[in-house]
Amino acid sequence: MKLRRIINFIIKEYTHIFRDRVSLIIIILMPMIMIILYGYAITFDMKNITFAAIDDSKTLQSRELIRSFTGNKFFVPKFMDIKRSEIDQLFKERKIQMVIVIPKDFSESLATSRTTKVQLLVDASDSNVATFINNYSNRVMQIYNEKINIGTPGIINIEPRIFFNPDLKSANFFVPGLVAFILLLISALLTSIAITREKETGTLEQILVSPVYPVEIVIGKVLPYISLGFFNGTIIVLFAKFLFKVPINGSIILMSAFALLYIFVAMSFGLMISASVQTQRTAMFTVIMSTVLPTIMLSGFIFPIVSMPLPLRIISKLIPATYFLIIIRGIMLKGTGVMVLWKQAAALSAIGLFMISIAIKRFKMTLEQ
Amino acid sequence: MRQILYLVQKEFRQIFRDKAMLRIIFIVPLIQILVLGNAITTDVKNIKIVIQDQDKTPYSRELILQFVHCKYFKTIGFEDNYTNLSDCLASGKANLAIVIPKHFQRHIVLNKKPDVQILVDGVDGNYAGVALGYATDILQKYQERLISSTPYLGFYAKNIHRVEKAPMFWYNPNLESKPYIVPGLIAILLLIITMFLTSMGIVREKEIGTLEQLMVTPIRSYQLVLGKVIPFSILGIVVINIAMGFIYLIFGIAVKGSLLFMVFESLIFIISTLGLGIFISTISETQQQALFMAWFTMICFILLSGFFFPIANMPYVIQKITLLNPLRYFIIILREIYLKGTSIKDLIPETLSLVAFGACLFIAAIIRFRKKIG
Amino acid sequence: MENDIAVKVSKLSRHFGSFVAVDEISFEVKKGEIFGFLGANGAGKTTAIKMLCGLLKPTSGEAYVAGFNIKTESSNIKKHTGYMSQKFSLYEDLKVKENIEFYGGIYGLSRKEILNKTKLLLSELHLENMQNSLTKTLPMGWKQRLALSTALLHDPPVIFLDEPTGGVDPVSRRNFWRIIYKIANLGKTIFVTTHYMDEAEYCKRLSIMHKGKIIEIGTPADLKSKYNKSSIQDVFVELADRD
Repeated sequence: MKLRRIINFIIKEYTHIFRDRVSLIIIILMPMIMIILYGYAITFDMKNITFAAIDDSKTLQSRELIRSFTGNKFFVPKFMDIKRSEIDQLFKERKIQMVIVIPKDFSESLATSRTTKVQLLVDASDSNVATFINNYSNRVMQIYNEKINIGTPGIINIEPRIFFNPDLKSANFFVPGLVAFILLLISALLTSIAITREKETGTLEQILVSPVYPVEIVIGKVLPYISLGFFNGTIIVLFAKFLFKVPINGSIILMSAFALLYIFVAMSFGLMISASVQTQRTAMFTVIMSTVLPTIMLSGFIFPIVSMPLPLRIISKLIPATYFLIIIRGIMLKGTGVMVLWKQAAALSAIGLFMISIAIKRFKMTLEQ
Repeated sequence: MRQILYLVQKEFRQIFRDKAMLRIIFIVPLIQILVLGNAITTDVKNIKIVIQDQDKTPYSRELILQFVHCKYFKTIGFEDNYTNLSDCLASGKANLAIVIPKHFQRHIVLNKKPDVQILVDGVDGNYAGVALGYATDILQKYQERLISSTPYLGFYAKNIHRVEKAPMFWYNPNLESKPYIVPGLIAILLLIITMFLTSMGIVREKEIGTLEQLMVTPIRSYQLVLGKVIPFSILGIVVINIAMGFIYLIFGIAVKGSLLFMVFESLIFIISTLGLGIFISTISETQQQALFMAWFTMICFILLSGFFFPIANMPYVIQKITLLNPLRYFIIILREIYLKGTSIKDLIPETLSLVAFGACLFIAAIIRFRKKIG
Repeated sequence: MENDIAVKVSKLSRHFGSFVAVDEISFEVKKGEIFGFLGANGAGKTTAIKMLCGLLKPTSGEAYVAGFNIKTESSNIKKHTGYMSQKFSLYEDLKVKENIEFYGGIYGLSRKEILNKTKLLLSELHLENMQNSLTKTLPMGWKQRLALSTALLHDPPVIFLDEPTGGVDPVSRRNFWRIIYKIANLGKTIFVTTHYMDEAEYCKRLSIMHKGKIIEIGTPADLKSKYNKSSIQDVFVELADRD
């Protein structure tokens, strides 16, 4: 290995990056647009759930129950007293998402028995939304029950305390997640075509006849992009902090160090693909297929890993973002330090080293062909 | 017309010659459907709890048992030191901690209302909210049961009445994520395959010079465009049908509505994504630029489609932006046909939007394409 | 227009913004002539040739190729010209046979014509054994000959060659020129740009371009005697140095 040669490579790679203005603008603007757009768009705070009510009881109590649904920002009443046969059509037209059916003997039952059942019909074609509707109606029911039992002393006090995100803000959860998501996608994509592009244009052959080691080429390819990725990372974290007011409770230096590690892992992945395939098209397709959806769905970015079936929990362990999500949420929201996060960092390093060594090995094979 | 046939034949030859690409087009989507079909659930299960029992009496042990036996909770341990509890939450070892105070039993008997603390990791707001709800519920039921089973506390019992809901989930009674996620996945895969292949394909021909060679032939630009659109539409339709068959075989989920209608809607969607692909190819000089633009468009489309995040929750401005997203309409259409068997008359606005979108994109693409090569 | 003129250009210009790539050039090329277009890189050769085969619209001026106006009859021009560029532009991932079939089809040849032509071409180029190989496996010289042949599938009377022999070894280049002569003997007009000065000697007439203008035109022998040089190379250097 010669430092001079590596530096030459780095300079060459930077020249590539800065000469292609369009790509450069895209690379720098894209993360900003993404964090702004998705920071606002991605939220699980449900509102405006549309519903209809079938009130067969028509008593003071039943009207009170319906009122407890309408009296908040979560639910919006659309129709009153529809026919049961109309429900299917209304669901199909997507006019309503839920129907409350209050039985005829509602008031009598309420006065005499301990529990009274009310039917909730939910359009579950989006099972995700249906789960939310179910959870929110739980809350409404709880409030209603407290109200009708007012004056009944309980025997214990329930005292909930919420740590790290007291207002349960969606943004605090998703914005750090977006940092992980955007960084991975951009970094992997950038390097995925770095080697295939040279294969296609024939410049790789030119480089290969010069006395360079594959390690030098790989380092020369990775370093410039790491700096670019880190620059992107800094910008989105600044947006997270100042636009979305996500706190950074932990050490910024630690966060930067882990971010660098994570970018390195993502780039190793891109390089591994790039060294293994022949065309830019194949490289980028492979990268997109193996990053976008798995990162969104399996890393814990949106959906809790603990709720997944076992095989998927295992697969999630192979996804770099899984670890970085724990790291960045830990540092930003919980203020955790290296004593807790070293395991995730170790896992990331292992994945990164594994992929970069495959990249170098594959690259050597190209060299020997 | 014959020229178009030759273009189509050429395109297919190139597609089938690239074995690596073929694998990606046909096999990877199936793997994704298989793996990701099970992934999505915002359901809250396996809540990890750590319990601190400062009382250690029959009453406190009875309460602990309620948590241990609840299917939503997984007790990972007991902790005597209060400060360690927040460490458990910080390190992710536990999602929730229950603190039963000293003299818990005595205070209940003396009617002094002991405080039971529920500490919850609030980072994932949705998860935390639901977990808190479950824990509260357990405590409520515990105290009700205690009241009714313990005679000297019994005077409260007759006053407690509760309304409970009996939810019924239509079209997907067990709230399985597969039927919900699978149509969405099909739509996304279709978007990826069609948009990327056309945009990269055209720019690649530009890069290697074959496009210039084609332009000195008497071929018309509309023929060139059709020569790209026809093979990729066919490819898209084939992929979607394979995917549907695969989904039926593996998950047993069949299309409730009309298959023909579904293919028809897919075709409209494909036309708009191909139009988009061609449009991107006309504004980029290199494959790299085309790739970045197509990729950016794709991520926007996916996250703003309502697939993962309901559009109704988004801010007003962003809700309006999503109206420009063809994937949004197509996912609604697919889901409706797949799960509810909705017929065309209830999907007219979505279909029309998709048609309008496809037509505009396609015309814009052809105009730009002609200008570019003229 | 006279019957024995294949290309007639008068005061043809092309501007890119404020840059003048081609500056009011005028010349005529006779049928069956091998007409050479010489010039340093960036002299405007490629721009001129692109206008003549309908790829670029001229900013001003007139030109007729095979009797058709390049401004108004570009589709007729495309039917009656062949073009091969400095960049090898066949599909590398198609087989040799498939490339011929594809371009034949694009030019509107019938299936039977394509079959006959393919057979003829393959034997002429001695590529029978390679017809089922991927085009990218061919050596560079053969690729170039194949590209030339596919550009001639529709029997165009006028052929434009834009630096056809770039990156090819001397033996292949000589073979390539043999083919060019053969085609010219069939009565076709060949319009070729090059910066290999030895190739310039093969041409029947030459024009030398400099900064978008034609600064000299004539047969190689005329040019050499006018400047009193022993080779076109020296003539070219002399003209370039005057600047």
